[in-house]
Amino acid sequence: MTARLLIGRSPIPGRYRLSSLLVAVTVGLASTANAQTLQSLPLLADEATPVGALPPMALPMPASRDRNYWGLRLQVGERQERRGPEDLVAVGAGIDYQIAGGSILGLTGGYQRRQHCQPALSDCRGHSLFGLRGRFNVITGGPTVAGIIGDESAASTLGTEIGFGYAPKVSPGVNACTLDLGVPISVAMLQTIRVVTFITPGAVWNIDCSAANTPTGRSFMLGFGFGLLQLGSRGLDVNVGAQRIFRGTTGLQFGVSVSWVRLP
Amino acid sequence: MSASARAALCALGLAAASGCHHRLARGELPANEIETTLFLLGDAGEPDPRQVGSPLDSLAVQAAEAPERSVIVFLGDNVYPGGIPAEGAAEWADARRRLDAQVRAIPPGVRGIFVPGNHDWGDERAFGLYSIRLQEQMIASMARGRNVRMLPGNGCPGPVSVDFGRLRVVTLDTQWWLHSYIVRDSSSHCPEGTMGAVTAALRDQVKPPGDGRVVFVVGHHPLMTGGAHGGYCGVTGPFRRFGGTSQDILGGANQVLRDSLRSAFAGRPPLAYAAGHDHTLQVLRGGRNVDYVLVSGAGSPSKTECAVKLRESYYVTQHRAGFMRVDIMKGKGVLLRVFRYPATRSGALAFSRWLELR
Repeated sequence: MTARLLIGRSPIPGRYRLSSLLVAVTVGLASTANAQTLQSLPLLADEATPVGALPPMALPMPASRDRNYWGLRLQVGERQERRGPEDLVAVGAGIDYQIAGGSILGLTGGYQRRQHCQPALSDCRGHSLFGLRGRFNVITGGPTVAGIIGDESAASTLGTEIGFGYAPKVSPGVNACTLDLGVPISVAMLQTIRVVTFITPGAVWNIDCSAANTPTGRSFMLGFGFGLLQLGSRGLDVNVGAQRIFRGTTGLQFGVSVSWVRLP
Repeated sequence: MSASARAALCALGLAAASGCHHRLARGELPANEIETTLFLLGDAGEPDPRQVGSPLDSLAVQAAEAPERSVIVFLGDNVYPGGIPAEGAAEWADARRRLDAQVRAIPPGVRGIFVPGNHDWGDERAFGLYSIRLQEQMIASMARGRNVRMLPGNGCPGPVSVDFGRLRVVTLDTQWWLHSYIVRDSSSHCPEGTMGAVTAALRDQVKPPGDGRVVFVVGHHPLMTGGAHGGYCGVTGPFRRFGGTSQDILGGANQVLRDSLRSAFAGRPPLAYAAGHDHTLQVLRGGRNVDYVLVSGAGSPSKTECAVKLRESYYVTQHRAGFMRVDIMKGKGVLLRVFRYPATRSGALAFSRWLELR
């Protein structure tokens, strides 16, 4: 097990970490898969803050430039296939502010816990999580995609996003902090019930925000999914998303997001 | 969405999503129950010199079916690229040809209204006021006694109202608000000469006397749009706010215009505000101050553009020419239909909605 993957004070001095990594990999390969699954994995900062705990979503649907919109969001995400007996389940709620029908600033609060946790192996207590996120629609247009798929109403959006996440006490004495950047792309189509597909490539950095001098590092991630927009109400959207963080043990996350925008 | 798919949605109870109760049932409206038919076509100032073609000829055919109850409103940018120049200019003959194609498309007996757009104001240049007067004179000469005219006239901002049964059409010259050069001179004699006066007059005119009145306000610049002038459809879109161009939704002068119109509508919201400017077809939910915002600026097939479906949009199409038809029924009921070209296998009718339920 490498020190860089852990949250919490590393027992291994920095100059020995690379060699420790090699040793860990060698030992890991030599071990049986069953032995791995019986172990409880440490919780990574990437998994503990909203960017990794809650599912990805499509970029906001454009709206009138004359108005700013308040919205509410509920999200549930489960991270599976971690190399251990536990999955991570998180629920979150958020409030979003869409500026001039385009970009969104959002606040998120939530809670994450370990499912199937074995108290003998790990600290099974859950933790809260908080996030601040800006999602910016850079280009919204549609003729190219519309021409390809033959839908006159198709629109593609290229955006950027930046998020800051914080989760206190993910393990005793350890807080998790992350900063993430992404370049989400959405393609929406159909007139009546709007269907949107999206991918959310990005990178997330662990930030040391514990007194315990937690390690830092960068991971790449990729989210994808689809959504149904304006489902029965002009402001109601449902997104289903999956996300993988490209870091050894994080598994694949699935989740559902339901958001509602208040229209005047 | 196909009719069968829509029917399936309705059957599943997704009425709110599919808007079933607003949609047109199969079959045509009974002609004897239609009081007035209003056609909305904008930005038609670039007709093909080799043929009239759609949508202008399709509109003419529909209007000719019942000319006595039909009204065609051209929603500005009637002559690209710079309106009518002074006679003798190299562009004069072609400018005349562009306008003539539209005036000729108005069948005998049909009333025609040309609303000014920014390109008609000399492409927003200093010659604008004189160009708009030249266009008004040219329309009058081409009309040859028919009821075809430019409203508001003489470079005045309006509003000018015309009543057709229970329909009232309130016309505005929105470029007057945005023009950076001279907008009045000694021969203007406009009833309203300031923005405040225009707003006050508009406030009065959107409240016609009588019950069951249907008010359409028409101008060139839209109140809302998912097109290029709304800051969509391009890399520069979100940054147009900082460019300060008055032709865009994000421009400061444009904001003043729209705020003023909305404040005038606040007391008694008109059923719809119809405009062109963006070369697309859009039907949008207007909000508190106006029930519907229509963008029908796809009158020139060579100029059609991209548009994005907004959260307020009921319908949007991009890169298709077309026009809108509004049937005002006797007593109650206003049906909007959107026709776009080239037609698909299911025909040119792309969207319909009861703006006022029958």
